[in-house]
Amino acid sequence: MGSGAKSSVFEKFLKAAGDITNPSLQAFKDNGGKVIGYYCPFIPEELFIAGGFLPFRMRGTGSQDTNLADAYFDSLNCCFVRHTFNQLLSGKYRFLDGLVIGTGCDHLRRIYDNAKHAAHQTAFIHLLDHPRTMGTPEMNGEPMITYYRSQLARLKEKMENHFDIEITVPRLKSAIKLCNETRRLQKRLYDLRKSANPLLNGVETAAIMMAGASMPREEYNQNLRTLLGELDNSSASGKKYSARLMVVGPAIEDPSFYSLIDDHGGIVVIDDLCFGARTVQNVIDEEAPDPLRSIAKYHVLDMPFCPKINGAHVHRVSFIKNMVDQFRVDGVIAQGYVACDPWGTSFALLKESMKEAGIPYLRVDRDYLPSQSGQLGTRMQAFIEMIGGSI
Amino acid sequence: MNTVNNEAVVDVYTQLKLDFAALTAKSFQARLNKFVENKTPIVACNDDFFPELFTAMELPYYFSVRQGLEGAFHIGKGPEAVDGYSELGGSSSLCSLQKAAAYLLMKGMLPKPIAILMTSTSCDAQTAVNELMSNYQPWADVPRISVDASFEKDEASMAYLGRQWMDCIPFIEKATGRKLDLDRLRDVCEESNKQCGLMFDFQELRRAAPSPIRADWGFIAYMTARWAACGRPEATAWLQRLYDATAQRVKAGLGIDGVKEKIRYAWFDILPCWSDKLFPRLEETFGAVNLMDLYGFNAPWPVIDTSSLESIFTSLAKRFLIGNPMTRQIFALSSVYGNDAVNIAKDFKCDAMIMPSHVGHKDGSASHKIVKDMFREIGIPFLVVGCDVFDERYMSPDVVFEKISTFFETAGLTGR
Repeated sequence: MGSGAKSSVFEKFLKAAGDITNPSLQAFKDNGGKVIGYYCPFIPEELFIAGGFLPFRMRGTGSQDTNLADAYFDSLNCCFVRHTFNQLLSGKYRFLDGLVIGTGCDHLRRIYDNAKHAAHQTAFIHLLDHPRTMGTPEMNGEPMITYYRSQLARLKEKMENHFDIEITVPRLKSAIKLCNETRRLQKRLYDLRKSANPLLNGVETAAIMMAGASMPREEYNQNLRTLLGELDNSSASGKKYSARLMVVGPAIEDPSFYSLIDDHGGIVVIDDLCFGARTVQNVIDEEAPDPLRSIAKYHVLDMPFCPKINGAHVHRVSFIKNMVDQFRVDGVIAQGYVACDPWGTSFALLKESMKEAGIPYLRVDRDYLPSQSGQLGTRMQAFIEMIGGSI
Repeated sequence: MNTVNNEAVVDVYTQLKLDFAALTAKSFQARLNKFVENKTPIVACNDDFFPELFTAMELPYYFSVRQGLEGAFHIGKGPEAVDGYSELGGSSSLCSLQKAAAYLLMKGMLPKPIAILMTSTSCDAQTAVNELMSNYQPWADVPRISVDASFEKDEASMAYLGRQWMDCIPFIEKATGRKLDLDRLRDVCEESNKQCGLMFDFQELRRAAPSPIRADWGFIAYMTARWAACGRPEATAWLQRLYDATAQRVKAGLGIDGVKEKIRYAWFDILPCWSDKLFPRLEETFGAVNLMDLYGFNAPWPVIDTSSLESIFTSLAKRFLIGNPMTRQIFALSSVYGNDAVNIAKDFKCDAMIMPSHVGHKDGSASHKIVKDMFREIGIPFLVVGCDVFDERYMSPDVVFEKISTFFETAGLTGR
């Protein structure tokens, strides 16, 4: 942690984020628990938790190459997709009992096709169709919410039949409460970063967030509560930063990306990332009589969305500006994978919006593996020096 | 005409091409021009998005794909637009066609529409351009709708898309000042049913060996029925003439003029803008004839049920999701593309299948193995090219020719 203290809870999170499997997940499996892997925050973990599963957000942590995946995906395809698929083929995800993929983008949904085609497929695999537009204000998301609810009901039924379980309304409500608790705790974690000398840096926060999507949820929440208590009692970090930054784009799983910022005197205090602040802004209605609909509504209207969702740009700009104000951000770094059309296009728009708002902005295209770290580091350094001066 | 004179038939096709150009000019371009001159209503939308509705309401419309294609590539300005888009900060991986469209948009070269109608298909590039269009500041005051197209293709999903679109009618009427007349819509849909039927029957004729005409006629038939003059009787008459002329060629056993057909293959993606640098050369060198492409595809188009407004819109949604080539092939499981390709190979008696794998079609780049394995099972040679069908600078037509030549030779298809 920024203060130098390394509690055992924090070490646990770091361990969970640093590998695909972790002791808590293993213990869950050893006790007969089942794990469902899923891609994207659009896929509701509440449904899996209500079914007694451990939801595991897919990532490529530890991947060194895409040799196995290259038979299925071209080099023109998203590197995140290729690396996670490679890990799937290599057997790193042998612990999965099921896999749910969303229809978000051209690359991601082909994981479903290829996973079904590959010999290493999990017994349960499902392609979840989720809306790709927010519609227009007059629609108020209504057709999309109804449609997504029907798709969630279909997934629920398929899981019930396959695993011989029952996902009841009380279980769903209980899962919503549990996940809302996670969101509230994680939000508190982010709020700590509003201070002048944040106790946690970017890589530490990212690790804590990633661990949340890799561990049994009750255990994670309990550990996060403990960690927050420790942080509340810690003295402020004495480290000085020359620039407070926000990072925007798809998931960053590689700690060295944050190091490139830290090494040059910057600190990431807030983000708009798949594994980050995007998922903690709102909570799901816990009291509504139809929990599936509440879950659908949250995932259609209430989350800050990535650009896979049409119509989300205006909201993204508003979210970023709001975060820039709240977290006293000096500059925004937009990072994305080369093959990503939605993010790539969004960055072109974002450049204009940031310019209009007078917010310093840097765009970097990167690969999954940190092969260009020298070049990226130079650009980060120049950006940080430009907006904050050297320390 | 009972006997077929080859020269006379060639004349029929020349006339058909001229008439196609005139039809496009009259039905499509003239309305756009009228907008520019007189500020009459216009809408911008996705490719093949319920064109029957636009004809019924006499709404001139354009869409980014077509503008990219005709506004840039077909007038030789494609590379300039592609490079220009990148300089404007756009995504380097975007499909060249959408780059060109985005460039035209961002440089203020597209007419300002009175309404923007968008759907969340058919590929990431298209929806990315939708987002650009939605956030283009000079068009900030243009009313817009964005409807969600399901990836699922079951009845409920078709109804979902149809219902959203139907619910948008008041919006379109308000934005354009045009009223939708149900009887007129029904007439247009019935005419469109005839056109899609003719288009399918025409494409079936191309199963004949030797192939009676070049593959680009499939795309021209598609453009006539779906883009240029959907639901207009003059387009039906044009398609009927195309069918009749081609049927006569089949009956007479005529192949493509001047080509001794030796290899039958399908190029299963969009026909390249540089087709003239590839296909005639393959014909001349190997007697290799391309039988089919993505837009000339012979899937039966769902018939529009005109019994009620709801049934019309559900049918239009079906057409959009499982008829429209881009949505059918790209916005679907890999097996849909694979099965369609396999069926073409079998039905059209192909000796080989070529998957051009246009660089902008990222879904296709992720389907190679699945489709290749399907072809291995049926024992038909299969090649993945990996070119840019719009921008020949990515892989030159010469290199594509060499790749295909080597493939034909390796597969033992030459020297027959």
